[in-house]
Amino acid sequence: MIPLDELLVFSGLLFSIGIFGVLTRRNFIMLLISVEIIMNSAILNFVTFSAYSPSSSVAQAVSGQGIAVVLIGLAATEVALGLAIVLALNRIIGSVDVAKAMELRL
Amino acid sequence: MNVDGVLFALLAGAGLLTAIAALLAREIVHTIMWIAILFVSLGLVYFLLEAPFLGVLQLAVYAGAVTILLLFAIMVVKKRIFSKEAVTGIGVSSVALAVALATLFTLNASSVTPPNGGRVYDTTLLSVSLFASYGAWVLALGFVVLSALVGAVYLARESRGRRIRAEGE
Repeated sequence: MIPLDELLVFSGLLFSIGIFGVLTRRNFIMLLISVEIIMNSAILNFVTFSAYSPSSSVAQAVSGQGIAVVLIGLAATEVALGLAIVLALNRIIGSVDVAKAMELRL
Repeated sequence: MNVDGVLFALLAGAGLLTAIAALLAREIVHTIMWIAILFVSLGLVYFLLEAPFLGVLQLAVYAGAVTILLLFAIMVVKKRIFSKEAVTGIGVSSVALAVALATLFTLNASSVTPPNGGRVYDTTLLSVSLFASYGAWVLALGFVVLSALVGAVYLARESRGRRIRAEGE
């Protein structure tokens, strides 16, 4: 059995790495990847607390996994939209550097 | 320390190292390779946490679909994928990865004990819970994915004003 605190520390470290990436990178694709790392740490937390749920009923304990399924779907949707934005940015300003995208209108 | 703890320590170490390497890699394609390894190790952690369906979903959606989508985006955006076209060491490292994963699986297959006192999670239970108590969420997820598809098509298409301008020139 994996200790709970190790799982939480792992998830927190992943979250911090993702935040570091979001704050320091300027490439839009790197921003997307960092957001994916953050989403993954959140999903890992849901699965962890589902496995360590004190509830004796399995149906209640498994609900964390249900939320994780919905979150994985949402994350995949977010990547698809983000990549469409990457294509639009590349067409309009000719690069994927977010520092060069200074206008909100397309 | 039991087998699960050791396996988790290995997977977590690999995950953290690959996440850092992904952010520090100079080539963006290398970033995607590292991030694929991170997704695979997270999927194996889900297997250790008695969530096999989520592990499979993580492997299929993240390590499969998201990685390939990112690669396609880079292929469209960049003129040259690598700055050096010939990359050495990918074959050797993939063989090493395959051997490492095989040993992990054979180690893990013998001695998996469910956490939390022998309560066994069943994929059937997860699906029943998903469609009985979270049915509205799943339906809402479907609509979100549908609207995101429409939005992605709208964003990625050739813009109308630009096309008219190009025809006028």
